[in-house]
Amino acid sequence: MPANNVTPQQIDILYTDHHGWLNAWLYKRLGNTHDAADLAQDVFLRLILKPAPRGFINASEARAYLRTVANGMCINLWHRREIEQAWLDTLATQPEAFAPSAERQAIILEALYEVSTMLLALPTKVARAFLLIEACQMGQKEVAQELGVSTRMVRKYLAQAMLECMQLEARQTAADLLTLSEPD
Amino acid sequence: MSNGPASSSIANQSEPPHRVMEQAAEWYAVLSSEDATKQEYADWRAWLESDPTHRKAWGYVESISHRFEPLQTTTAPRQTAEGLWQANTRLIQRRRVLASIAILVGTGLVGWGTWRHTPLPLLARAWQADYDTATGETRELTLSDGSRIWLNTATALSQTYDTHKRHLNLLKGEIFISTAADPSRPFTVDTPQGRLKALGTRFTVRLDGEQTLLAVYEGAVQTRTRLGKISTLEAGQQVRFSSEAVNTVEAAQATREAWTRGVLVAQDITLREVVAELRRYRHGHLGLAPEVANLRVFGNFPLTNIDKTLEMLADTLPVRIHRLLPWWVSIEPQKD
Repeated sequence: MPANNVTPQQIDILYTDHHGWLNAWLYKRLGNTHDAADLAQDVFLRLILKPAPRGFINASEARAYLRTVANGMCINLWHRREIEQAWLDTLATQPEAFAPSAERQAIILEALYEVSTMLLALPTKVARAFLLIEACQMGQKEVAQELGVSTRMVRKYLAQAMLECMQLEARQTAADLLTLSEPD
Repeated sequence: MSNGPASSSIANQSEPPHRVMEQAAEWYAVLSSEDATKQEYADWRAWLESDPTHRKAWGYVESISHRFEPLQTTTAPRQTAEGLWQANTRLIQRRRVLASIAILVGTGLVGWGTWRHTPLPLLARAWQADYDTATGETRELTLSDGSRIWLNTATALSQTYDTHKRHLNLLKGEIFISTAADPSRPFTVDTPQGRLKALGTRFTVRLDGEQTLLAVYEGAVQTRTRLGKISTLEAGQQVRFSSEAVNTVEAAQATREAWTRGVLVAQDITLREVVAELRRYRHGHLGLAPEVANLRVFGNFPLTNIDKTLEMLADTLPVRIHRLLPWWVSIEPQKD
């Protein structure tokens, strides 16, 4: 294949050649036909929206690439499920009259997922201080008391949390611009 | 060779230097204090306006803070935050479990076959279980509140009890529950397809592929599918539901709960259904010839001794048990 972006015709060929295989691979990993079918579609959709930087030399390279993308999607799916369950648990403890609209819930879920991803990259106490300050809008003194550390320490945690998230965001922006990396 | 237009635009993109990112993060920590002074605000403004890279770095601070906004506006932000915190704790634990499984696989302590054929989430779930049973094993538990639970074959269950709630998570298999009354603490069971809330009762929950089967024998149970569809099931009813849809309600088979006593009660069900049930209690292949699959079966069969059950079936039906290998058994029509 020529060494430039994957063309729609090539995506057609990739789909015909590898969709069944990818579906089976995902099913083995997820143990659920619906999820496997959904993710297999998502992988190809992503290939259309964010084309790979160049064509694939052969079928095994194409499969390695598809597997890398699919694997990342599986991990995201489990992460999202966990977040969704936590949110449902929270909702279940509140009177139904307070339940936000479906649109609002979608926004909240997305925010929970993003915040969860950021916090996972941080040390426990740093993540906890950041969450209490930002999500619960608590004061630094209150947080210091709850964590059993000084206010100075809370301030240090916050600067550390923010810096790491900024760097993550900067890398993300760079990665988005680079489109997808090559398969390993 | 793969230098497309995208990578050249990266080169033109000037990210603020690390030192500036650090300054922005420090300003954020100073200004988020309830004690931030007017002077500090003025100093921050001067810093912000002194260089375009400062503005850019501050843009990151704003976009990150912005992500928390939807959480601040929930009914109970603290509760939302704690839910998120617990989810993250579980995610971290799971990563550790998966890392340790990877080590076991690497050292050959877990058979490669088992590992390869078990979907990853199931494996991870089974490792989270507080209680489990092996294939062919059943188990009876009394929980701290006096509720009694029977675990059927190949079942995994985890439990969260605290002062506000009694909660079980059925990870695989089947359980029969007889709840103890406690009006101050609701009793809930989660399955991958949804949540069940017991309203003082005896019921069975079983995971069947991508569906949950719920049968209620006493009281009532409220179900809520993952997609939020709510319905209530009364005593004597059973229903299957997936994450999306709830099937029609049927009459509960009272005989289904007999497994808690180690017995399979067959009252005019097909041999196919009996075999499907027996397969859950037994490792290895249990085949069934299509010619005999629709024979009707009556009787009580021991689930604790499947070989005995097979003999009993051969005694009462026109079938024979063909044992090719100890773990390869098939039920075939009797030879004339």
